[in-house]
Amino acid sequence: MKEWNRLGQNRAARMDRAASLARGKLVAPGDTGALLARVIEPGDRVCIEGNNQKQADFLAKALAALDPADVRDLHIVQSVLALPSHLDVFEKGVASKLDFSFSGPQAARLARLLSSGQLRIGAIHTYLELFGRYFTDLTPRVSLVCAAAADRNGNLYTGGNTEDTPVIVEATAFRRGIVIAQVNEIVDTVPRVDIPGDWVDFVVQSPKPHYIEPLFTRDPAQISEIQVLMAMMAIKGIYAEYGVKRLNHGIGFDTAAIELLLPTYAESLGMRGRIATHWALNPHPALIPAIEAGFVESVHSFGSELGMEGYIRARPDVFFTGPDGSMRSNRALSQTAGLYACDMFIGSTLQIDLAGNSSTATLGRIAGFGGAPNMGSDARGRRHGTEPWLRAGREAGQDGFRGRKLVVQMVETFREHMAPAFVDRLDAWELAEQANLDLPPVMIYGDDVTHILTEEGIANLLLCRTPEEREQAIRGVAGYTPVGLARDKRAVENLRDRGVIRRPADIGIDPKLATRDLLAAKSMKDLVRASGGLYDPPAKFRSW
Amino acid sequence: MTSWLESTARERVAGLLDAGSFTEFVPPEARLTSPHLAQLNQPAAFDDGVAVGRGMLNDEPVLIAAQEGAFMGGAVGEVHGAKITGLLERALAERIPVLLLLESGGVRLHEANAGLIAVSEIMRAILALRGAGVPVIVLNGGRVGVFGGMGIATCLCDLLIMSEDARLGLSGPEVIETTMGVEEFDAADRALVWRVTGGKNRAIMGEAVLVADDIAAFRAAIRLDPVPLDVEAEHALLGARLDRFGGMEDALDIWADLGIENPARVPLLDTDAFHAAIRGKTA
Repeated sequence: MKEWNRLGQNRAARMDRAASLARGKLVAPGDTGALLARVIEPGDRVCIEGNNQKQADFLAKALAALDPADVRDLHIVQSVLALPSHLDVFEKGVASKLDFSFSGPQAARLARLLSSGQLRIGAIHTYLELFGRYFTDLTPRVSLVCAAAADRNGNLYTGGNTEDTPVIVEATAFRRGIVIAQVNEIVDTVPRVDIPGDWVDFVVQSPKPHYIEPLFTRDPAQISEIQVLMAMMAIKGIYAEYGVKRLNHGIGFDTAAIELLLPTYAESLGMRGRIATHWALNPHPALIPAIEAGFVESVHSFGSELGMEGYIRARPDVFFTGPDGSMRSNRALSQTAGLYACDMFIGSTLQIDLAGNSSTATLGRIAGFGGAPNMGSDARGRRHGTEPWLRAGREAGQDGFRGRKLVVQMVETFREHMAPAFVDRLDAWELAEQANLDLPPVMIYGDDVTHILTEEGIANLLLCRTPEEREQAIRGVAGYTPVGLARDKRAVENLRDRGVIRRPADIGIDPKLATRDLLAAKSMKDLVRASGGLYDPPAKFRSW
Repeated sequence: MTSWLESTARERVAGLLDAGSFTEFVPPEARLTSPHLAQLNQPAAFDDGVAVGRGMLNDEPVLIAAQEGAFMGGAVGEVHGAKITGLLERALAERIPVLLLLESGGVRLHEANAGLIAVSEIMRAILALRGAGVPVIVLNGGRVGVFGGMGIATCLCDLLIMSEDARLGLSGPEVIETTMGVEEFDAADRALVWRVTGGKNRAIMGEAVLVADDIAAFRAAIRLDPVPLDVEAEHALLGARLDRFGGMEDALDIWADLGIENPARVPLLDTDAFHAAIRGKTA
């Protein structure tokens, strides 16, 4: 007779082994290591909640402190590797295989561990791809998640940074896995239930509040006049041109400059209400002036941002908030919005090749991707029409009726230390060979990129009809980089005549007028003032 | 209102002096660049990062120098220093007051001894002016602040006008942290850095006149009267200050000791409210 509940029986055995450590669902912090050793079995697939911002740091450290004699060969499935402990598990031999999305701060160490054979990488995913695999072939057996507070029944309150928690818990709990949560505090009643208690098996109160990174804060004082010029070009040459209302902004000073030019420059073009009304975006402090000026109707977020809590609470018409007043974010759903319900993604990159492929991977660093690849890709299954989407489809000369998402890569031709942003070959290819990856870690595929914007101009790749035209359009905005200098001048002038390449003058922008005076806020203090004192920036961003 | 912080060195000069009155000495057209930077393959500036010249302030003649913080953090190299020293020596010969619009991390390390000598020549020239009763006024409102040898030079002058965004110090915060440890001074704690080195603390310590970040406010605070230099009294003052505050960990402790109410609020106050809060309670 076939056994149909082996997962349930295995779960019961694990729960039995751990029962003596728990009072109800509560486990003392000092027993965390013992708990993990009893519920995790060698070879398990384990998900550590590592988000873009919120980190299950206490549980991650406890896992890394386990004895490989008891627990080994774990397969870690985790969206973001942000902390040293996330890699300690591999160095110590507790885990051996990794499937992930992003490893920014740990990218160099990850590359070293890989080359020394201490871990194998399954794949580097986009967020939605990894979350999708949580529900197919990479379902976690044990998940270590993170919340702001829990009650004694295990109901979790995540606060503004819900991020990945619902996806991880849902995949684990409904396939008879085990969910362990670290929380900052145990309370009688949580302000709201983000994760129902019967999906959570154990709760540990962390000795210190979980680590959280203010990843999306950019100090306006550091925005350059080149970035102001590029923001003007983006607003007039793309946002206003296509009438883009629903969008996502990548992280960085380039897009912060756009956000700070909405209430000034875009307003002067009469664009309030006509562009940038609905956002899939973390609550960027740089968006405050645009919100206050009435540009923004709604913002749904992947995660929250430190210091924005009070402002968000006071603007419930704009942000998605719970009945308790605090933000409810959700990475999977906001990514879905970015993929299917936004008409434009605009963001920066480190390298662009002659086919328009763009990558943030550089030699010796396996950084993976953030939110860009899902949002910076055309959703080929999309069915609803909007003007910018339909126009982009017409420009691409696609047969018939389908539109295209606008995917804009915005880069200065030279990056820090005079490294050219335009290259003949992405470092990603060499990295793929070194790391034995199935495919190079390209962040945005060239055939998804519709526009490349530099200080020299905007290349509209939708209007290019051959790979040769595309190459010259890219060279034509690549400035004084070797790639730019190797342009065919006649071909580039021809593309400019056809409107494929547009210089600032072609769209009626005088670079001399691109000054920091256009920024709606020039400092962190200006942002606080714009928020009416509601924004409370973290210490590292304040000089007061 | 025009922000001093956001302006370039030449914009500050133009905004500060009577309209159209500035005549630059050794202007960029002269292309007097640093010989040291060229040897090191470093980018040069045609003015070596400082504009010097003559102009009028409320119809009174002044000599003026303005360091450009955007070029190598306003660091003083051989040419840069010589331009300032030359200006100061001319002020002594012609007995004309000097405005120093400083923004500098100190000596330009690329130029090593030449930069150090240049800064010491600036100091000597300032002291000569003090001795002759020709006033030298420092205006400090740039992003870099004023540190290193230029910080010392600043303390030799008759009058210091600062905004709250500006800083004044000897060693920069990162240098202190590197040499003395993060326990001594956490350079990443920006609020601490500004509490200690920023314009507000300098005003409370009696070292500076605090003005809003506005070129017109800087202009209005300028007094072209010489302040007699009494070195012994100055030493006594500094000694007493060390005795009273030397054991304290943070500017907040000093402010509380001076009887300023709610010291933690001081950094948030705008300029007018700040002056009201510290009236009669400065060191």
